[in-house]
Amino acid sequence: MTDTEAPPRVLVVDDAATVRLYHSSLLTEAGFQVDESANGLEAVEVATAVPYDLFLVDVNMPKMNGYTCVEALRSDTVGTDAPVVMISTEDRPGDADRAYAAGANLYLVKPVGGERLIRIASMLTAGRGAPA
Amino acid sequence: MAGAPATGAGLSDADFARFVEYFYKRTGIHFAASKRYFVDKRIETCIRESPYDSFSGWFAALRVNEKSGMLQDLINQLTVNETYFLREDYQFDAMLSTVLPNVLRDRGGVSRIVGPVKILSLPCSTGEEPYSIALRLLEEWDQIDHVDVEIHGADIDSEVLAKAAHASYGERSVQRVPKPWLNKYFTPVGSGRYQVDEGIRSAVTLHRVNICDTLAMRSFRDFDVVFCRNVLIYFDELSSRRAAENLYGAMRPGGYLFLGHSESMSRISPIFTPSRLAEGIVYQRPIGAK
Repeated sequence: MTDTEAPPRVLVVDDAATVRLYHSSLLTEAGFQVDESANGLEAVEVATAVPYDLFLVDVNMPKMNGYTCVEALRSDTVGTDAPVVMISTEDRPGDADRAYAAGANLYLVKPVGGERLIRIASMLTAGRGAPA
Repeated sequence: MAGAPATGAGLSDADFARFVEYFYKRTGIHFAASKRYFVDKRIETCIRESPYDSFSGWFAALRVNEKSGMLQDLINQLTVNETYFLREDYQFDAMLSTVLPNVLRDRGGVSRIVGPVKILSLPCSTGEEPYSIALRLLEEWDQIDHVDVEIHGADIDSEVLAKAAHASYGERSVQRVPKPWLNKYFTPVGSGRYQVDEGIRSAVTLHRVNICDTLAMRSFRDFDVVFCRNVLIYFDELSSRRAAENLYGAMRPGGYLFLGHSESMSRISPIFTPSRLAEGIVYQRPIGAK
């Protein structure tokens, strides 16, 4: 990483603390700057103030689920064009379509291995800052 | 991040190394430096919920009071438990269409089979997986009245095992259970929750075990079918290889092993033979091998 280029900022949104920390630790180790939110509502609030380069969003969460969260991220409320990856245990036909309709760029089924997660995060944030 | 200063709970690099060595010896789970952040956060939570205000006090108590459940609390904090009934159901399809018929054939056929057909769900988490297996066998396996079947569920986490034993689930967990099955095998217990009936509960035997603990895993023998889904992905190379070897030891020659959709045994160990079924990959302990 050069001094002038900040690492990409990622917001990890998942109500399961263990999953959140698993994704965060992988991304942190790979040089991303990571924040966490425990539900969609919290994520939308944080995202209005911080220009994230990537969002990892769980589907099933209390207060505001992942689909509504992604819709809010894409709406005028936040208005971000940063890539959004939805990660869920749900694997029915139609789950991914719903994610894309909400505004997600990619839909992954849990669990996502470390190498794969980093590869995808790096690819989606290319040109949006460099991992350390 | 080498030489990083103490973080969060005030863990120095030396503290972290001591903790990792201790935890590895006690559980077989190894945390690489890359899991530092993850582990620190969990230890912070444990310290906050304990009467101790520093890592050294907490760590000393952890070692002295092993029997009092502190270590188990920590294990419970460090495991991922997120599942639902009939998750990755295509593998249960494969079990019914191909794996169980092959098991029966290899063991001499329905009329000559000696001993039960044994199925293991490890890790079983809160019980959705072993109970799903029981439901699908009861509802869909035409040999269920002719063959003795044992279903076992095992997990390292004592809290999830207690939940598995109680077998009460929220709507999201049971949303894929067909309505007639829900009516037949579950009892609504209020607040949108459903409890698995005693008949199904008693069909599943629960155990606490660490998949990496070779000695403890020796009590698991002669399994025909093993579901080990979505756990090896979290292990380092050494632990996942040890877990694979322990699973191998727990299986009957010719037995079948299902992993999670994003996991591959070929990356871990060559001891199993992969076979491609219509529903996906399953790994087999070779019949001729010791």
